[in-house]
Amino acid sequence: MAYSETNPLAENFGFDIGGPLAAYWIALLRVITGWWFFHAGVTKIIENGLNFTYGTAYLQGMTGTALGPIPVWMGNNLGWLIEPGVPLFETLIGLALIAGAFVRLAAFGGAIFMTLFWVGNAGFGHGLVNSDLMGLLLFGTMIALGAGRYYGLDAILEKTRLAEAYPKLRYLLG
Amino acid sequence: MQQPDIIDKVAMAFSAALMLIGIVGLGIVELLAGQPYGAAPVTNEAGEIVATPAIDPTLRTGLVLLGLLVLFGWGVYRAATPDAGADRRPTEVTAD
Repeated sequence: MAYSETNPLAENFGFDIGGPLAAYWIALLRVITGWWFFHAGVTKIIENGLNFTYGTAYLQGMTGTALGPIPVWMGNNLGWLIEPGVPLFETLIGLALIAGAFVRLAAFGGAIFMTLFWVGNAGFGHGLVNSDLMGLLLFGTMIALGAGRYYGLDAILEKTRLAEAYPKLRYLLG
Repeated sequence: MQQPDIIDKVAMAFSAALMLIGIVGLGIVELLAGQPYGAAPVTNEAGEIVATPAIDPTLRTGLVLLGLLVLFGWGVYRAATPDAGADRRPTEVTAD
């Protein structure tokens, strides 16, 4: 938040990407997004275990969307993955975001979920820009900003020997 | 990210254009075309559809998904190609 004569955005309490306000806000956003998914996943596990049969029925009902036949095919053929996977992956994505570990990988998974929610919930009674699209954009934001580096475990993981040896891992961490 | 090259610039511009056309551009068309102003049909009290969106929401969501696909492809490209800038460490040089 240093003052800069050449950059008006860097004035006091401005959004300096390397500054404390950015770190605070990105970390807060990440943890709240993580809690959102963790809560959604863990409550499914509490109520139905790893047998979320609504997931397959939901996908089978996604006809006539921009995703074409893909969701219906998934619903018909990937039940073995979807029924345990929805509660499990939602929980793990949430935990990863809360801890700030493997955030880009986790947020990519979250973006897949939100794409299916956005397109599948359809109706669009409140417009095309609804909370599902906002959730999708939130996960995109986590990926773009490398949100795990802000008060998250990815800041530590990226300094390990493995990450130093394979810098491309930062496309999954961060 | 270091200085974006031509592929980075094309990926950013193309994906943003697709998403903005799908959401904002066609949203303005929908607005100007009259009711319904959103992407859902208007129904009367009996539940009958009295007005349908001018632009099929499948087209609009499809454009946004295409934009996201471009971003994903860009990410894969960046991860798969050698990145000369990202891992470059500054070295001291003597001035002439």
